[in-house]
Amino acid sequence: MPRPAEHWVTFTVDGLEVQAPDGVMLVDGAKYGDVEIPVFCYEPKLGQPVGACRMCLVEIEGIPKLQTACSTPVKDGMVVHTQTQRVHDAQRAVVEFLLINHPLDCPVCDKGGECPLQDITYGWGPGTSRFIEPKRHFKKPLELSPLIAIDRERCILCYRCVRFSQELSEDYQLILLERGAHSYVGTFDGHPYVAPFSGNIIELCPVGALTSRAYRFRARPWDIEGAGTVAPTDATHCNVELTVRDERVMRVLARDHEGVDDGWLDDRTRFGYQAVHVDERIVQPLVREGTELMPASWEKALGAATAALKKAGARSAALADGETTNEEAYLLQRLFREGLGSGHLASRPHGELPLDAARALADPALQATIPDLEFAHAVLLLECDPIDEAPVLDLRIRKGIRRHHVQLAVASARPTALDAQAASVMRLAPGGAEGLLVALDAALSGDDGNLGGASTAAGSNAQAVRDLAAWLRDAGDDLVIVYGERALRGQGARALLNLAARLELAGRDGAGLLEVPSVPNARGMREAGFAPGHGPGFATLAAAARDARGIAEGLASGELSTVWLNYADPVRFHPDRPLWESALGTAQVVIAVETLLTDTVREYADVVFPGEAYPEKEGTLTNLDGRVQRLRPAIGRPKGATGLPGSGVRPLWQVIADVARDLGLDLRALTGAMASSQLFEAVPFYGGLTLDEIGGRGIRWPELNAEWDAPTEVARLEVPAAGPAAREGALRLGTFRSLWASKDVDVSPALHFLRPRQVAELCPQDAEALGINEGDRVEVSANGTRIRGTAKLRAAVPPGSVFVAEGVTDEPANTLTEPLVEVRRVRERELEPQL
Amino acid sequence: MGVQLFYDGIDDPELRTLDGYAKRGGYEMLRKALEMEPGAVLQEMLDSEVRGRGGAGFAMGKKMSFIPGGTMDKYLVCNADESEPGTFKDRELMQKNPHLLIEGMLIAGYAIGANKSFIFIRGEYDHQADVLDAAVAEARAAGYIGDRILGFAHTQDLVVHRGAGAYICGEETALLDALEGKRGNPRLKPPFPAVQGLYRGPTLINNVETLMNAPHIMRMGGKEFARLGTANSTGTKVVSISGCVQRPGNYEVELGVPTRELVYGLAGGPPEGRSIKAWFPGGSSAPVLPGTDEYMDLPYDFDSIAKAGSMLGSGAIIVIDDSISIVDVAVKTAKFYRHESCGKCTPCREGTNWTVKMLERVQSGEATPMDLDIMASVQEQIIGNCLCVLGDAMAMPIGSMIAHFREEFEAHIDAARERNGLGAAIPQVNRGRQGGAYPMREPAGIEPTPAVV
Amino acid sequence: MAIDPSQVRRFAHGSRVPGWDDAADLSKDPAVIPDPATTPVPEHIRAEIEAQMAKYPDFRSAAIPALHIVQREHGWCSPTAIEQAACVMRLTPAYLTAVATFYDMFSTTPKGRHDVFVCTNISCSLLGADRIHEAMVEAAGRDPDFHVKPFECLGACDIAPMASVDGEYVGPLEETDCARIVDDVKAGREVLPDKQLKRRKIAIEYWREQTLGGPDARRPSQDAGPDDPRR
Repeated sequence: MPRPAEHWVTFTVDGLEVQAPDGVMLVDGAKYGDVEIPVFCYEPKLGQPVGACRMCLVEIEGIPKLQTACSTPVKDGMVVHTQTQRVHDAQRAVVEFLLINHPLDCPVCDKGGECPLQDITYGWGPGTSRFIEPKRHFKKPLELSPLIAIDRERCILCYRCVRFSQELSEDYQLILLERGAHSYVGTFDGHPYVAPFSGNIIELCPVGALTSRAYRFRARPWDIEGAGTVAPTDATHCNVELTVRDERVMRVLARDHEGVDDGWLDDRTRFGYQAVHVDERIVQPLVREGTELMPASWEKALGAATAALKKAGARSAALADGETTNEEAYLLQRLFREGLGSGHLASRPHGELPLDAARALADPALQATIPDLEFAHAVLLLECDPIDEAPVLDLRIRKGIRRHHVQLAVASARPTALDAQAASVMRLAPGGAEGLLVALDAALSGDDGNLGGASTAAGSNAQAVRDLAAWLRDAGDDLVIVYGERALRGQGARALLNLAARLELAGRDGAGLLEVPSVPNARGMREAGFAPGHGPGFATLAAAARDARGIAEGLASGELSTVWLNYADPVRFHPDRPLWESALGTAQVVIAVETLLTDTVREYADVVFPGEAYPEKEGTLTNLDGRVQRLRPAIGRPKGATGLPGSGVRPLWQVIADVARDLGLDLRALTGAMASSQLFEAVPFYGGLTLDEIGGRGIRWPELNAEWDAPTEVARLEVPAAGPAAREGALRLGTFRSLWASKDVDVSPALHFLRPRQVAELCPQDAEALGINEGDRVEVSANGTRIRGTAKLRAAVPPGSVFVAEGVTDEPANTLTEPLVEVRRVRERELEPQL
Repeated sequence: MGVQLFYDGIDDPELRTLDGYAKRGGYEMLRKALEMEPGAVLQEMLDSEVRGRGGAGFAMGKKMSFIPGGTMDKYLVCNADESEPGTFKDRELMQKNPHLLIEGMLIAGYAIGANKSFIFIRGEYDHQADVLDAAVAEARAAGYIGDRILGFAHTQDLVVHRGAGAYICGEETALLDALEGKRGNPRLKPPFPAVQGLYRGPTLINNVETLMNAPHIMRMGGKEFARLGTANSTGTKVVSISGCVQRPGNYEVELGVPTRELVYGLAGGPPEGRSIKAWFPGGSSAPVLPGTDEYMDLPYDFDSIAKAGSMLGSGAIIVIDDSISIVDVAVKTAKFYRHESCGKCTPCREGTNWTVKMLERVQSGEATPMDLDIMASVQEQIIGNCLCVLGDAMAMPIGSMIAHFREEFEAHIDAARERNGLGAAIPQVNRGRQGGAYPMREPAGIEPTPAVV
Repeated sequence: MAIDPSQVRRFAHGSRVPGWDDAADLSKDPAVIPDPATTPVPEHIRAEIEAQMAKYPDFRSAAIPALHIVQREHGWCSPTAIEQAACVMRLTPAYLTAVATFYDMFSTTPKGRHDVFVCTNISCSLLGADRIHEAMVEAAGRDPDFHVKPFECLGACDIAPMASVDGEYVGPLEETDCARIVDDVKAGREVLPDKQLKRRKIAIEYWREQTLGGPDARRPSQDAGPDDPRR
């Protein structure tokens, strides 16, 4: 549903004439006149008001009973009183009622000092209580999950947390049990409340009933400062407020941004901050001496890196991922292109796009925004699962379906978290997205010649594709296609552009494409020119260079000699681990910028520059819908072992500039801001942005009306080759990357329990044929390479496919490089004894 | 005895079957209604001025007229979650004459254009639900329920939905939540069910007895029906009389009969040698009235009982005789509402809990007369501040008991303190009966505290 | 001081509500919607629940009927029972637990097969329901086959004090009836046939017969009527 138009009304609060948008609730409307009405249960982000706490009762002329301001929309000419005796009596009554069983443990309560109940009690309460009965006492705190502690004594039953679980994240795990005064918040049969967004309930709780186990008793509100920045944990770049005490990040809170995260955070962003302050953190340069990485001075490390790069010259390459900012990407590509004459710069694990396709896909006219997901007529989710790749998008899509009746279609190989909400679901063969896009193009153009073959390549059939094409055509004007990076392989990008042209998505507000890249700042790096096929701002280059796989092949074959890994861990996260192992093993020098001592760094790096963690960084990031946002340093960079100034972590723009200088290239980056302004000048469509303009909320550059020349003609497509079909004893291999497969999760004590373990997801039919039961240890193998995992039976997995997890450190899925694998149960005697 | 619309021949076991019901003119009024325009049927209901029998006493025709026109899915729900203490009329009516309810629902459904209808019957009424299931199956087989009823354009389905034991589901919006498969929590109003009810569609919710009036209204004509009873309380009423009476049971009377005739005449009055101390005029949610002549002479109709400070409610009289301690009744009543409070809104959840705790202290003798003041004030804090009327339903009778029987409460406290060896209660400073709810700080004209941001 | 503080049992009480003191068991996995691949559901239960789901415009309306079904099959709303219903309905078990714990007729703890709900609400208690409940507990409380529970108003105050025995309403009860109830249920007989509510005529008829048939043993019918001297 398109966004409704806004209309303003005038009403009176406490004798003050106030104008507010029509339809807002009185609580919000009164704020336009600076009148505060106290609330506990009201939180408009959680959906319809419930009117449960009764704190917001006000008097409205013409209505005999007091009304809840949280559920009464403002109307023209309404006369409201919030300061009459009746209202005071009611408010005091509610506070008195709420406090009768609420313990007076504010001095030892984590919420004390930032507690709405405390504030409202002071502001609106009766001051004393007449309740002399014994208060109820219960054991406290109790574990609700490894992340959250629950204190049921303090709970005032405002329903916020259960509404979040039930109506917002829709995981429906957190419930109210029993009835009346016996009601309490809990879960089914003592199961923990573990869900990707569970941490949000801590922030929603208006009392100290739900607290973060990682933050409990670490600081009081008067000890801390808040620092706003954005989190580069995934490509949405959630806005966060870091709670800082003594140069340490103690907590991460959401900094509500309607255009980005809508005020929610996933648990990885919320609890991953612990990785900033762990022992595994690299705080000074390391240089390999013999087989050991030894701490080294900056001079030595810079010297080693410079020498290696100078020697390699055009035979050097760079790979970026993780926390890489736009500025770093820009400076790095200058360093490599101008200083070394190498254009081998890659960030995408699944391959880069040809320049024309990259440019066409970035066309501002084709861009959908994150809020469009909420107001579109229809959304197609193509080969991606937001819950793992860009979690808050999952919440946005759900919100759209719930509030604005958005129609959702899902087409993916692996079942997604949104399947249950979708109007139609199409299961593809692993890697079949290209086939589907070509088939959809054929169906929309009426080209029956390609349709059959392409549908088969997709792992579907012509009729299903025709139905989906018809659905897309008839879904309504505002159609948003959310696609994963894997869908762009081969002719995928061209086909997607054809689709957009045929569905006339270009230039339409509220419609368009939205990429969910697998690298957090993928969009920004591409736009800053960190790509093999184009320079900053998609500038044309004389010659294209190698993509990620090409770099690996070049290193393995000796055609390339030195590689710069900028927060990148290709061995873990890129396909074809054997190739990368051989590449990094063969490479003469591996220069790594990394925050943590990961396996790849430990094993392969020769020179290691300590990387800044995001709370220490400055610079800009561009999120998946083109919003350029600022990273602002919240804490100082860690010092080195000597404690001397400059011995520890240095800003990365400075490191790059220093290397460049030693190579005889002056990057003219003396400050972070200088790097930013260079970037803004170099990328034409960033339109001369300034850091000030970007401010705390960011700017979507597609809204800056940049000139864009993109090809409009539709391309002629070929039927892609179908992957091999499953056969007796061999299943098609699909992979997925869990939200929790990340270096932060590995080292954060709070998140440690979520570290993914290897699984093999099978449908029950295949499992039965293979004699595999739920929970069995199974071996997935091809060509003699094998990984082990736990069998997980899922009815929604398509027969003939098996899915294993990427980025799992102990049983890495990317060692399997064949499309077909054998799956068998590991017999008990084969299992190694548990130590 | 007067007119017996419902109870005339109701004990005929054949009446439960379609044949037996048809023999007595069953489903003829449905045919008559279907031959009329829906608006004309609605007009008859309006003319009858019959008021809801479930507790709130809202005019049935008016409620029906709130259902918007149009072709959206509309719903009719029969509230058969009869759980008000002292009320048991719907149970007997459904069990003995199920087809009358079905016919009434079909007529009402036709008048408002509802194609889906539900009977939400409380789970404890197992037998009655079985009877209804059988009757619905029979009626469906005979073409009274389903597509194109009797060949007319009207289509209406009927599902008997069994609850699972929660008084609050008698509240109409809580009933809707329960019917939607959720916890039976009341919803905020507005939106009212007539606009956005079951599955977000316009919904008419009526009590069993109310809907059973529809065939009678069709037969008599609305205007004629309105002659029964009094001007503002038309029709007959099945009154449930229970408690300390000699002949408890359901009695059908025209509204407006003197209460005395109900309690003494029909129900036989209190047991020999006892007198009536107090009575609930309309279920346990109604404020109690003393058993004095002044109140016994009240005509039993909506307006007179309301004027006396109570309400007709579901039409259930519970008689309390002089052998019963009012404190015990208060504790029972308060405990019931604490048990049945859904817990959604603060004043009801905490207020009922607090009241029970105070009353238990009164009962055990740990209280002082000051507690009565606090208790009365707590009741005032509940009334009008809750999401639904359940909180009020406890606060009103408890408040009325303290108001009418304060001396007995105080005597009980004194005696119990004496028994416990606690000595006499010290008179309270600063907390007289008129001391008000908040003796601690002057409430008016407070500045918002700067601490609150 | 209105209250002698030494008399108030301030801290001598713990949790009186089961569940409040329970932490989550961190060794368990989060309870998501049960996957049909790993949750076996007996075919007849699945069929019955699906039939209920088909009756409503929104399948979730079948939550209460589904819980009635699994409670009947499993004896109580056990975690397994709830998981089975959740699997068929494609809801989380938590959803159904929230519903099950709200309603008095569902039991999320093991209970006896035979439900004896003794009404202890106002009308019944005015006529001695608490004594009946005690007697009932005495008669059946230790028998694992019985589930004796004090219940709020069951809607049969005309036969107060009363009880619902496996859904059969019987009353007015005397303490001696409790043993008979246990015997009747154990023998598989109809429970107290002479006191079953469903056989009772409307009040006017019933009391007329009682009066004609002789004075009611329990409450001598001395019809005062309009001529009552107390008027």
